[in-house]
Amino acid sequence: MRSPAIIILAFCLFFLPVSTGMAEEQATGSAEGTQKLELKQAAMSERVENLTPIHPGLVFPVSAGQVCCFSSFEPVPQHTVIYHRWFHRDELSTQTRLRLYPPKWSTYSVIQLRETDKGPWRVEIIDQNGRIFDTLRFSITE
Amino acid sequence: MINSYILLRVYVLFQGTNAFRVLVGLTMLWLTQEVAASLGLILTSWAVRGITAAAAIIIIVVFRNEIRSVLQVRNIKTFLWGFPSRERHTPIDMIAETVFHMARRRMGALIVFPGHRDLGEMIYGGITWNGKVSNEMLLSIFWPNSPAHDGAAIIVDGQVTEVGVLLPLTHRQDLPSYYGTRHRAAAGLAEVSDALVIVVSEERGSVNVALDGSLTPVTDSKALSDALKKHLKMSQISPALMRERERIKFAAACCVSVLVMTGIWFGFTRSQDTIVALNVPIEYVNRPANYDILDTSVDEARLQLLGSSALIKSLGQGQVGVRVDLSKAVEGRNTFTITQDDIVLPPGVSLNKIQPTAIDVTLDVPATRELPVQADWIGRLPENISLTDVKIVPETVKVAGGSKTLERVNTVYTAPLRLDGLTKSGFVSSQIVLSPPSLKLASSSSSERVTVHYRVEERNPSEKK
Repeated sequence: MRSPAIIILAFCLFFLPVSTGMAEEQATGSAEGTQKLELKQAAMSERVENLTPIHPGLVFPVSAGQVCCFSSFEPVPQHTVIYHRWFHRDELSTQTRLRLYPPKWSTYSVIQLRETDKGPWRVEIIDQNGRIFDTLRFSITE
Repeated sequence: MINSYILLRVYVLFQGTNAFRVLVGLTMLWLTQEVAASLGLILTSWAVRGITAAAAIIIIVVFRNEIRSVLQVRNIKTFLWGFPSRERHTPIDMIAETVFHMARRRMGALIVFPGHRDLGEMIYGGITWNGKVSNEMLLSIFWPNSPAHDGAAIIVDGQVTEVGVLLPLTHRQDLPSYYGTRHRAAAGLAEVSDALVIVVSEERGSVNVALDGSLTPVTDSKALSDALKKHLKMSQISPALMRERERIKFAAACCVSVLVMTGIWFGFTRSQDTIVALNVPIEYVNRPANYDILDTSVDEARLQLLGSSALIKSLGQGQVGVRVDLSKAVEGRNTFTITQDDIVLPPGVSLNKIQPTAIDVTLDVPATRELPVQADWIGRLPENISLTDVKIVPETVKVAGGSKTLERVNTVYTAPLRLDGLTKSGFVSSQIVLSPPSLKLASSSSSERVTVHYRVEERNPSEKK
């Protein structure tokens, strides 16, 4: 597993979801029980600003310093948890637990890049039952 | 045992020949050299070795005809298995009677009975005859008006093989003056070979036998018969007794061959004075058909072997091996302790130490799995370019390998693809790199190459970092 020293901003999101202002909307719907959690958008990017991925792409240089996995869910029927699982060459590098709040929610996880991180990566976005919403593939290069 | 048999065959084929006697001498020389070497007499050993080598070449040259006659005359069955016994059917008494009959009638005759040595280079001329010897035939050959009466007749195994043969003349000055060319020819051949030559004088009607360089008068047919029988090694004993003696002689030769080879064998293997360490590849045998070998802790073992220096020096590839029997292996990790039974060694060499003493072998069930292909980009994109989309055709490939291995593999990658200089969208063909190497593309269903279609876009300058 990746070193705990890696800054995982998602943990901040996990602990301070409201105060950071990332919750886009609060739960209002009454049909939570019938709706199903759906991934609306997922992208790799260099940064996320105002819940928008900046410089999305499939190749990121180590010099960029970090890479983000952005995911946006709509609808979010009820408060739940998803995971971003980061794999470097098929080896699980890190896993980030992210909370989702109804009715829709955008969130992201970040890893800091090092020289040894060069190579092909993938991020699996899964729910707590292991269902894969999407797999994002990208490369870290020179 | 094989070496003993080879030695026995050499004895059987060459027994009684001069080459065999010289071969025995050569063996003695070789033994002397070995003894000298073992005593540390290096110079003596080298000198004897040189003499032995030179002698071996000289012997082959000198006895080439005899060796050739031994190796050529007999067929392959005789060569490998048979026991060449000399023909005993030469009608000695009849020949003796005929010789004295010719003597009484003053018919000159010259009859050669070859010994062990080949006469090919001593005689010349001659007409091939190959007729069964008889009274009438001999009389007709030496009849004065017969075209073949000049020269000698050669009798081998009851057959007149050649007639009109010219023999080398002796240069001796001490022969009686009344001896003519016929007698000189008989004495000449007897001087240079081990043949027995009967000469019948035309003038005096006397019979002489030339053997070992001397001419001896023979007065009656019985004496002649005895001389011939002695020369042809035909004794008066019964054929049954002869066969019995042959059997005993052969059994003794068998025993001597076995004893000699056993002695040589123990001579070589007795001393366990040399230790050698070898790295030997490990063979995994009797693998259950439904399993693949996924992993082994080691591929070769280091054996420390003990034996005589001669045996250790002659160790070759394939003579030493480590074979691990997988017949009782199960799926997953198996640990095998290497025992003496797993090690193949030539006789006379023993195992002193082995490392490692245990081997782990992991077996797995063969399986296939459809896996996605991912591009492995390397290098650096230009600053203002962003790679926004990649599509790989085909998106997945079918991979074959051990089920446990396949469980751990979720993606296969292309060979590294360079990003440097990519300014426009396009596509590139690439090979698939499978890791670990035990994985293979499932035959025919998957291509070894994929096409990577990529899209690049220029970054908005205002978005630059």
